[in-house]
Amino acid sequence: MPEQSNTEPSNTELSTPDLMLLQFEVEQFLYHEAKLLDERRYDEWINLLTEDIHYWMPIRRTTTTREINKEFTEPGAMAFFDDDLEMLKMRVKKMAAGNAWSEDPPSRTRHFVSNIHISGVQGDEIKVELNFHLYRTRLESEEDSWIGRRQDLIRRTDNSFMLARRHIFLEQTVILSQNMSSMF
Amino acid sequence: MNLITRQNWVDNDNGLVDRRIFSDVEIYQTELKKIFARGWNFMCHESQIPESGNFFLNYIGEDQVIVVRDRNQQVQVLLNSCPHRGNTVCRADQGKTRSFFCSYHGWNFDLDGKLVGVPGFEPFYKGDLDKDKWGLAKAAQVESYKGFVFATLDPDAIALGDFLGWVGRLGLDLIAEQGDVEVVDGIQKNRIQCNWKLAVDNLFDWYHPKVSHASAIRTGIMSEESMYPMSQMVILGEYGHAIGGPGVSEDEQRRLEEKYADLYSTANLEKPKSPNSWRANQQAIQELGPVGIRSKGHPNIFPNLWVSTGGTQLCLRLPKGPLETELWWFTFVNRNLSTETKRRIIQGAIHFFGPAGMLEQDDGENWSHSTRGSRGVVTGDRPLNFRMGLGQDKVRSDQSGQSSIETVVNEHGQRWTYRSWQEWMKADNWSDLVKNHSPEPKGQV
Repeated sequence: MPEQSNTEPSNTELSTPDLMLLQFEVEQFLYHEAKLLDERRYDEWINLLTEDIHYWMPIRRTTTTREINKEFTEPGAMAFFDDDLEMLKMRVKKMAAGNAWSEDPPSRTRHFVSNIHISGVQGDEIKVELNFHLYRTRLESEEDSWIGRRQDLIRRTDNSFMLARRHIFLEQTVILSQNMSSMF
Repeated sequence: MNLITRQNWVDNDNGLVDRRIFSDVEIYQTELKKIFARGWNFMCHESQIPESGNFFLNYIGEDQVIVVRDRNQQVQVLLNSCPHRGNTVCRADQGKTRSFFCSYHGWNFDLDGKLVGVPGFEPFYKGDLDKDKWGLAKAAQVESYKGFVFATLDPDAIALGDFLGWVGRLGLDLIAEQGDVEVVDGIQKNRIQCNWKLAVDNLFDWYHPKVSHASAIRTGIMSEESMYPMSQMVILGEYGHAIGGPGVSEDEQRRLEEKYADLYSTANLEKPKSPNSWRANQQAIQELGPVGIRSKGHPNIFPNLWVSTGGTQLCLRLPKGPLETELWWFTFVNRNLSTETKRRIIQGAIHFFGPAGMLEQDDGENWSHSTRGSRGVVTGDRPLNFRMGLGQDKVRSDQSGQSSIETVVNEHGQRWTYRSWQEWMKADNWSDLVKNHSPEPKGQV
């Protein structure tokens, strides 16, 4: 289950100008990362991930309001993605193999991120909540659109940022696509 | 080349299949009636609905059903449609409830489908409504085999055990006999623009991995040998059930039984490193039989339930029109395994299968393009080739009565599926099907 959506002001000790600067830096990092994915620069993308990254997309179900706390599967149960760095490296290696047919001819993707909200800062770690839209077309007429919410954990390094956690909460229950061979 | 005529879409002698069966609307509608509504369909595993009031939505063909444990602990399968205006009475995929309430006019149904509440019963209906007659319609028959719940909409259907026969039972035993299994929370679902039969066809197909899944093999996530085993063990059963894929050799089985003899005589239920150690369990050997215990292949419970034995999963292929199929993945673990071992099994399932799985990512496009290839007026006229191994292998019968075809990569499972499919489509009713379906093959195949 995702953490409650945090719409309150950021829970940080930062002054407004410092928070504005951090917001700018975080946004630039996320835009850069999205660009790497859209340009299929996966080797560069993988270098932005920390050793302890957790990349996870739980399964969503339609439930009644009364049981809405069971809408998403819990960590450790079934999911669509539940990857560590080693697994993500395999995914990237697969795409570079030259015969990953789901991505050859390559899909055309465009990643959008919006509503970027810094929900907490602790030491080097920045918790970010955002909305995303991943749009994909393939071949003549295949079209996929995945919209959802992400909880990212970004870690500050010497002179940049790295991604330490990405939890992805899609708006779809039944995935209306033949596969999810793109990275979110 | 034999001309395929109407009602004769499958040419068994020549291993040819008319492509129109993958796109024709009329054929599809007939399948819904003669195969799905008539046959036994997998509903869920009992571990998904342990308590009274637990429910799980599923389909029989395109008829949506509620699978629910009632107040007497009986599993009911109810059509999800209010008899008043047809509205659905259950909108959640799963959960727990006290009753099913129609959001249109407020008719309320008990867990066994009985109509128990009608707003305006006295003032509007003047009491003139026989509540006993207007409950939710029930599946004609519901039965469970070792916790796997099946239902049919045909009151004349033969008993589940007879329908499954030894081959269908063996398919389910390959999961059931791995221990006290339960379904892990979370059913992965996704849609592919393909005919459901092409998805089923693929599960017997050990010809495609080296090509379709070349990129996954390249990453080292699995060995090339495991994806392309040279020896194959095919088991064919009545009513269309079939198992295709690798087997454990007789020598290997003997070694397993020696090596793990102690394992099942103690209280040690932890799964050891070898994924095949459970085959040394005497109870499993008893249940699966001397041939069955050696099967490592992929069973299909006709028409659309794949038992994916590598990761102890079931994959249901639900028809959504002739050109669309929904895949539902159910993942099983033995309750008694350690948290760590369960986690390894669950992660394996996530990483291999489902829409983001390293293997399955590359299947959907092939199936959807194969489906598309059945639509052109000229393209669709050309039969598909299912001739691999045709007439070249022999069925080996064991003293136990079980039989298998031990060979190399082949298309026996696919041919058997299409042959049986045609028999189901031609039969007018169950007694016709019982009379006119192919018996288990013997001799040369």
